[in-house]
Amino acid sequence: MAPIVLVALVTTPPLVVTDVGNGAYLVEHDGRLEVVFVAGGADAPWAFWNGYVFHGVPGNDRSPLRGRQEFASLHHHPPRGAAQTLAAPMPATVVKVLVQPGAEVKSGDALIVLEAMKMELPLRAPADARVKAVHCREGELVSPETILVELE
Amino acid sequence: MIHRLLIANRGEIAVRIARACAELAIESVAVFSDADARALHVLVADRAVPLGGSAAIESYLSIPKILAAAQSVGADAIHPGYGFLSESAALATACERSGVVFVGPPSTVMGKMGSKIEARRLVQSAGIPVVPGETPADQSSDGVRRALERLGFPALLKASAGGGGKGMRRVRDGDDVVAHIESARREAHAAFGDGTLYVERLLDAPHHIEVQVCADGAGRAGHLFERECSVQRRHQKVIEESPSPNVTDDLRQRMVSAALRIVEAASYRNVGTIEFLVDSAKGGKDAGFYFLEMNTRLQVEHPVTELVTGVDLVRAQLGVASGEALPWRQADLAQRGHAIEARIYAEDPAANFLPQAGRLLLYREPQMPGVRVDSGVREGIDVGVHYDPLLAKVIAQGETRSQAIARLVQAFRGFPILGIRTNVPLLLAILEHPTFVAGSMHTGSLDAELSALLNQLPTMPPPFVQAAVRHATARGAKDAGRTNASWDPWHRLSWWRS
Repeated sequence: MAPIVLVALVTTPPLVVTDVGNGAYLVEHDGRLEVVFVAGGADAPWAFWNGYVFHGVPGNDRSPLRGRQEFASLHHHPPRGAAQTLAAPMPATVVKVLVQPGAEVKSGDALIVLEAMKMELPLRAPADARVKAVHCREGELVSPETILVELE
Repeated sequence: MIHRLLIANRGEIAVRIARACAELAIESVAVFSDADARALHVLVADRAVPLGGSAAIESYLSIPKILAAAQSVGADAIHPGYGFLSESAALATACERSGVVFVGPPSTVMGKMGSKIEARRLVQSAGIPVVPGETPADQSSDGVRRALERLGFPALLKASAGGGGKGMRRVRDGDDVVAHIESARREAHAAFGDGTLYVERLLDAPHHIEVQVCADGAGRAGHLFERECSVQRRHQKVIEESPSPNVTDDLRQRMVSAALRIVEAASYRNVGTIEFLVDSAKGGKDAGFYFLEMNTRLQVEHPVTELVTGVDLVRAQLGVASGEALPWRQADLAQRGHAIEARIYAEDPAANFLPQAGRLLLYREPQMPGVRVDSGVREGIDVGVHYDPLLAKVIAQGETRSQAIARLVQAFRGFPILGIRTNVPLLLAILEHPTFVAGSMHTGSLDAELSALLNQLPTMPPPFVQAAVRHATARGAKDAGRTNASWDPWHRLSWWRS
């Protein structure tokens, strides 16, 4: 299915939504009734339709996929030369710390290896940089958003 | 007879086994880690014993804890499920010593078939082909090169000491063979401290086809035909089916008789699976198949066999473990129609298959003709990071393969799972891919097609989905006491695709 552009919202007439209970909603669209399931809070809702799942995230106008293709997503996009941080994307155990403060790393180098659900996940440098600080130890259980490495 | 069975596992397979126990009037005992106190398998069993800990090594992999749990409730048998301790000869030995029935093969048989080298030796002595390969006695670069030339190209160089792709090199005709050998040796040495190389024939585009067997250990054995499991991502099975669309009657006959010879040579008892690689380059009567390995346990994909044969493999397994005869005669078995299973993993295909953790905010299994769901989760529970990301299996049955595919597609289109991402959108893309529909995916197909499949997944919700979310969350906001009438999530939200 091709991506649908948001402009459609403006040109489409108002859609009639019926709450049929337990998170299910009926929406009439092109003469068909579509069933949509919705869950989660208003700031980060989840929706299911026809086998596909959509998840809204607040205050984020970047491309929806940026930062998700690569495990090593940058939390911020600071100007060049400023410090960058690498954070844990999910609850995980730190199995290997491969760098120390002061190390020069190249784009794509593995810095930290995390383990979650029996899978090892390398956290990689997004660009050539110098390691400013390492904020985790091997064996440590880290929660999402915890800053693990600072680069500069 | 087994009276009280401890299930040394979790998730969907623990639930599956507990349900078989209920049918057979066997009392089921679940074990659970701290992380699993509210898990479905605990609710389904008749009793539950806490193991403590959350990491697998402190809970489901701890033989002393499992045995102590069995003794504390007076269990007379232990079912290991799959994964965890299911292929641990040590657990089987410990059970034998403490007089508890281990629902599996004798520990000696397990040890033998669990070792790749010993299993290979046994299978070869039974006259079954294995993927041609050897550890060259002369490990000099010249010696390894001569071994490769004896095998023929293309070939695979592997580290003798271990797996995981370390030290592995594909060598094709005309390549700089010595350069490959030297770099493979360096990598093997760095990874395992041992640069010994193994050379193996590289099968181009093979199919993974396995034969389900069951034996009572007293000389009576039967097979339950084949399953094809060629849809794999990095050697992990994703979709399995029976019958295989690539097996002729003649090939099936040769494969099942080879499987039964292996069962006999191993003096096997229990259900089990003999895995083969089938060389798709040679079709028809000359189709070659090679022994890959034997799994001495119940498999994840056992339901496809159950749906086409009408046999309950867990019941058969419990019967054989209790010393009963096989509950069917070979002549009474047939493959009827077609069954396909797809595994739902808590992982995000759009983010490098990153495992997902979080609360299942909404989880509604489909109820429709010809669809079976084997699930280990329920709405409202937290999916954690400690164990395998398999949430559930959906198995569809049909009179024909195309009906089974259509039913599986319908099942996934009507199976809302919200709160964590899953691989379901990818499963749908595979099920509708022309190569899958044609039945010709080999073990390398999915990896080769993956980026094309991922690119076709929708990135933005259609307007009517957005309308439903707006309706649902605006009301939710009001309920929560918000008064801002102009509140509109679309000004602040962006969407991540699934």
